[in-house]
Amino acid sequence: MISQWFAMNSVLIDQTLVVFLLALSIQIPLRLGVISFAGIGYFAIGGYGTGILVLQQGWNNVAAIIVCSIVAAIVATLLGFIIAHLNGLYLGMATVSFSLLFSAIAINGGSLTGGAVGLYGLIGPIETWHVALVTVVIVVLVYLSERGRISRRIDAAKEDTQLASALGINVIRMRRMSFPISGALGGLAGAFSISLKTTIHPESINFSLVILALTIIIIGGQASWVGALFGSLFFVWLPEALEFVGDFEAIVYGIVVVVAAVYLPGGVVVVYKDWKHRRQVKRFLAQAPDAPPRDELAGVSGRSKDDAS
Amino acid sequence: MEILQILTTVAVSAAIYLLFALGMSIVWGTMAILNFAHGSIFMFAAFVGYLAVKQVALPLVAVVLIAMIAGALLSVLMQILAFEPIMRKAKNAHAAELQLVIGGIGLSALPIFVAQRATLSNPFGYLQSTFTTEYYDIGGWSISNLEIIILVVGWGLGIGTAIFLRRSRQGLALRSLGVDPEVASLMGVDRTKMALSGMAFAGALAGLAGALTTFYLSSLTPESGNYILLKAFAAIILGGVGSVAGLMIGVTVLAGSETAVILFSSGGWVNAVAFGLLFLILVIRPQGVLGKKEVRRT
Amino acid sequence: MTVSQGDSVTSTSTYDYEPVLEGRDVSIHYGGVKAVEGMTFGLRPGVISGILGPNGSGKTTLLGGITRMVNLTRGSVSFLGRDYTNVPARDVIRLGMGRTYQTVRLLPDRTVRENILLATDVILKDDPDRAAAQVERAIELTDVKNVQVFRPGELSYGVQRRVEIARALASDPKLLLLDEPTAGMNKSERSSVAGLLAELRSEGLTQLLVEHDVQMMVDTCDYLYAMNFGSLIAEGSPEDVVRNPAVQEAYLGKHGRRDA
Repeated sequence: MISQWFAMNSVLIDQTLVVFLLALSIQIPLRLGVISFAGIGYFAIGGYGTGILVLQQGWNNVAAIIVCSIVAAIVATLLGFIIAHLNGLYLGMATVSFSLLFSAIAINGGSLTGGAVGLYGLIGPIETWHVALVTVVIVVLVYLSERGRISRRIDAAKEDTQLASALGINVIRMRRMSFPISGALGGLAGAFSISLKTTIHPESINFSLVILALTIIIIGGQASWVGALFGSLFFVWLPEALEFVGDFEAIVYGIVVVVAAVYLPGGVVVVYKDWKHRRQVKRFLAQAPDAPPRDELAGVSGRSKDDAS
Repeated sequence: MEILQILTTVAVSAAIYLLFALGMSIVWGTMAILNFAHGSIFMFAAFVGYLAVKQVALPLVAVVLIAMIAGALLSVLMQILAFEPIMRKAKNAHAAELQLVIGGIGLSALPIFVAQRATLSNPFGYLQSTFTTEYYDIGGWSISNLEIIILVVGWGLGIGTAIFLRRSRQGLALRSLGVDPEVASLMGVDRTKMALSGMAFAGALAGLAGALTTFYLSSLTPESGNYILLKAFAAIILGGVGSVAGLMIGVTVLAGSETAVILFSSGGWVNAVAFGLLFLILVIRPQGVLGKKEVRRT
Repeated sequence: MTVSQGDSVTSTSTYDYEPVLEGRDVSIHYGGVKAVEGMTFGLRPGVISGILGPNGSGKTTLLGGITRMVNLTRGSVSFLGRDYTNVPARDVIRLGMGRTYQTVRLLPDRTVRENILLATDVILKDDPDRAAAQVERAIELTDVKNVQVFRPGELSYGVQRRVEIARALASDPKLLLLDEPTAGMNKSERSSVAGLLAELRSEGLTQLLVEHDVQMMVDTCDYLYAMNFGSLIAEGSPEDVVRNPAVQEAYLGKHGRRDA
């Protein structure tokens, strides 16, 4: 029964895995405060690269995936150096234009990239469970970066770079390192995408992919792989769930995004983390003896951070 | 004369980009709102004009006015529904920036959706309008009445806005908002009111650009907004955020490069011009041609 | 007096002690503005020194120069005899300096305990036992044990400041720098901080306090430097400095009640 469900939904499952990896490639730099949509460009390198190597150069599919991911990581590292002087939104827009250049190259690439039609017919040995396995390994690594010391250092580097430096954190090096990681993940996503779908075309790597990535980050939040997974599931499976809504899917989608942007800036995971925190505080207060006096808690003394002078 | 013809095309394209980007640049420079829905406002305002003209054969002026009003209203609506709440809730300016972009992108989906439904994703135009294009021939150089209108309106507004911002009191108030909102409000500049009028002005300009573009290209598709948004962004950054004079330079460079690409290579690379320019400028000189050295909006 | 560059110890006959922190002709200019100009000082070990000055006198900028947040336009700084004028900012904590800030800078989505742990995450990453011990000690000293599990936003301002001090102490610094640690505090909170600083002094910790509240400085510090317009205008015991006419003029008669 379960295998039946998997078989019926294999396309969606494939899509979820690929989108999830792409989302991670954007989320990792974002956790350090680097707004980078270059992941879409790395996706293009991985996807078109694998397509070209396998379909036109006769490469082995697995070898192509590995090489293209490494190339994407190298390109990412170079990109990191070139745009290192930029911050925030400017960095974001540089990465968007970087990524969209690939879609222009793809359309105008003639027989190399298949032009507007793209590349097709990549039938290889890669199956869903291969991709799932690699994804699980990646998730474990990401999960480890969300615990303990490293997670605190990442938070500090994002939240307050001066403070982070004062605490010994090498913020620049952390940001630089996030680029090849992002590159490898984006490249893998693209390589897996064409390997599973057998095709890739310019629409796969245009602005709508940027929107896709953004949506996932909005819904899932910037902080955790759990959010990225949730966002990916939301984006891939919502059209299914909304089938009854039919044509209004785009409107529902747009409304959800706007509402989330306004009211849930941290995404879903933050809601969970806040709940967990409140529970911890309640449990602590319950064992009374060490409970802090009322005047130590915010709001009681009538003073808050903003009253500082 | 060939060269004059080319220059005319460049000047007209630049004028359209200018109209579109002017509002966006001012809103960004003074209120720190990068309105990603500006493109869909451009398209939807033109679309409203289309709806009106379908009912009544209207002259150009009427269509344009309707589009401007639609654009202004839509822009104000977005400000009230999304941008203002986001800014109020944000922890700091930095966090607000990303949220505003996200909110804008989400918002942009809605007008596009409505237009797509109504037109079944087909292009729409102002065929029923009473306006007819007339060409004037001056010794081998031909220019149409529409092109003259676009040139006058676009560059006129551009220069006029530059002077207004520099010389008038309201202009000074707007610019002070951009430099230091807190000090500005202490000096009596009402941020919310300025924000609404700023957005209305930008929306009206977007509507103006949308209507004129639809006349000029004879049609628009519901997706047209996205591309012009990215191009405008490139022009703004090139010229320097908040600088109208810089923007005029930026749109000229953009229109010029695109025309050159169309003339000397296959048309497919046209859109890439904006991406390439944007990337180069950010890498080499992020403050743009006329921007200040310190890139304030980070 | 012999002076040599780099890592070598400089022989300083200027002071009759080995200064923990020494600044020579420290000057910090920003595009035409001389925020700090010609500051020369040597902090005596085990003592609470203070930098007194009105707003805009360059105190915080000087702290920034000391902690390598900003570059010196001229001059040098040495810690425990070693010149560190060009060392990157992130190495300052390793040298042995801990600091608090004018506005509280704690990670808002982390608990108090996690915020304090952050101070040991880099420098003691290979010695978790020692890190834990230092963190516990810092928590004890600042009496924030019973708010460990809260987030900064849930605590009153005075407690947040104490948490910042705890974080500065958790790295077991040899010099503690405090930037207006009692701003916005009420009287009892202020005296509690003063008590903490005194206790830290009795344990041998050298401290540098920046404040514009004259009374607090006089009561807490053993030695004062008075600044105005970026330069040193007086130094010595608190009583002497406060009676100095140049200092009094700098405060234009408002001296004694400078807390906002």
